[in-house]
Amino acid sequence: MRRIIDSILEKLLISILTLMVINVVLQVFARFAGISIPFTEELAGFLLMWTGLLGAGYATGKGMHLAIDIFPRKATPENQVKFNWIINGFVILFAFLVMVVGGFRLVYIALSLDQLSPVMQIPKGYVYLVLPFSGIMIVYYSILNIIEGPSQPHETGDTIAEKLN
Amino acid sequence: MYYLEVVILVVSFIGFLALGVPIAYSIGLSSLFTMLVSILPIPAFTTIAQRMANGLDSFALLAIPFFILAGQLMNRGGIASRLIEFAKVIVGRLPGGLAFVNILACMLFGAISGSAVAAASAIGGFMNPRMVKEGYDRSFAAAVNIASSTTGMIIPPSNILIVYSLAAGGVGVSIGALFLAGYIPGILVGLSLMVVAGFVSYKKRYPTAGKTGFVEALKILLDAIPSLFLLVVVIGGIVAGIFTATEASAVAVVYTLLLSMIYREIKAKDIPGILLDTVGTTSIVMILIATSIGMSWVMSYENIPQTVSEALLSLSDNKIVILIIINLILLFVGMFMDMTPAVLIFTPIFLPVVMRLGMDPVHFGIIMVLNLCVGICTPPVGSVLFVGCSVAKISIDKVIKPLLPLFVAMIVTLLIVSFVPELSLWLPRLFGF
Repeated sequence: MRRIIDSILEKLLISILTLMVINVVLQVFARFAGISIPFTEELAGFLLMWTGLLGAGYATGKGMHLAIDIFPRKATPENQVKFNWIINGFVILFAFLVMVVGGFRLVYIALSLDQLSPVMQIPKGYVYLVLPFSGIMIVYYSILNIIEGPSQPHETGDTIAEKLN
Repeated sequence: MYYLEVVILVVSFIGFLALGVPIAYSIGLSSLFTMLVSILPIPAFTTIAQRMANGLDSFALLAIPFFILAGQLMNRGGIASRLIEFAKVIVGRLPGGLAFVNILACMLFGAISGSAVAAASAIGGFMNPRMVKEGYDRSFAAAVNIASSTTGMIIPPSNILIVYSLAAGGVGVSIGALFLAGYIPGILVGLSLMVVAGFVSYKKRYPTAGKTGFVEALKILLDAIPSLFLLVVVIGGIVAGIFTATEASAVAVVYTLLLSMIYREIKAKDIPGILLDTVGTTSIVMILIATSIGMSWVMSYENIPQTVSEALLSLSDNKIVILIIINLILLFVGMFMDMTPAVLIFTPIFLPVVMRLGMDPVHFGIIMVLNLCVGICTPPVGSVLFVGCSVAKISIDKVIKPLLPLFVAMIVTLLIVSFVPELSLWLPRLFGF
């Protein structure tokens, strides 16, 4: 399950990044050719929003987020389990309250106010859907991190360097 | 007054960090708690969500993933090794030659890729084994690599200066002006590091890297020109107003991709892996930016910048004293915070103060970035320190001692740049910014 979701998320993120590059390169070339493509800047901003938030979910799954792990690392194995619970619990708290609850409400408000993006005329509510979606991903991965236990600490350089020695 | 909010913000933030909650979420959670003092829960959740999403919806920020991608391509595309050979021709003959080569290569690579972490891993990966083989201490080699990688943050193009221009917001700081302003201070940092490295190398009698024959030198120079030309395209294009920083970064991606395919170092099948690495690094930075923008909004909502600004100005209205206080605070903050959130959170707080004292926002941006460059090399949070140590295969505590004199060099340069505004402002003025 985890692997399937990882791989879907990876493919999605790679596609968005590729699309971002093509989009801006297109904008540059079009300008030199004297053509103006009206939507590139707006699309670029939306794509960045999507990469950043979806990527946050992906990074949670991979334990890539930067953290200061001085205390958790020095704790006894039993306490490490507790730290793992607390840390992931707080991440879930934020992702659920702000990204899922706040995000869905934002989607709802934007749709009910009929907010459209200025150039492409896309309902902004659909663009904001990435918030609750990423929030759910983060909650999902954090629950997995709790179940699987603190075996994979956050890979800061400190722990990497220690492993190498 | 808003002391309660300030206390909640600071205490909860430090608490989350100490527990080991990822920095991005610590920033988000402490902003949320602060907001709950004066706003009802559901609107507070929605507002932060909206700030995060709209904060990322920015064409200027798009330059960051593109410069990261260009850096990844350069890293694997044979550009790093060509720059190292080029640096060797120029500074290799000095005593402790490889240390100088390391510094100059980091300056060039950091400049081209716009990222200190990319420079630390690309140049460190090549240079550390070579330096150890020639009899240098592993810890010294790593320390030199770590400190000099930061010059890439100041010498343009630089992602962090783009973030600063965004954080300065309404003041309207042009990215072109910031980029030009970075040249002299960045080169000064490099030179000051060379002085320290040269002194250590002379004392420990480290060898020179040898001279290169004229014909070979010419060949290396010709080999490096396509890589160096990227700087001309990117900076020239931005300064001349041909394209924006974001467009320049996209051009950089295409250029490095073509170059590394011509060098036959990157094949089509390597590209998905490179894109995935870029996505990983990008998302770590982006979520930090998103929550930092949330925090910065909460702080301005709670009037925290005004509170801090009044407190600072009540201490003194002497420009030098205030600048020293701000520098000390930033050095401390830099130890615990990554550069991007620090710039996003502290620019709105300090910029109004220094502008009231008549400082140029471009000059202050350079001071701030230069200052936080020390922070990314210091524990407990120092991204460049972590990466530099892991590529050098050495533990962090062993690098601290050789890093100390290099820190002194960086801080002396910081003071000079702080108190001589012309070093930052002369070039942008020359180009009419």
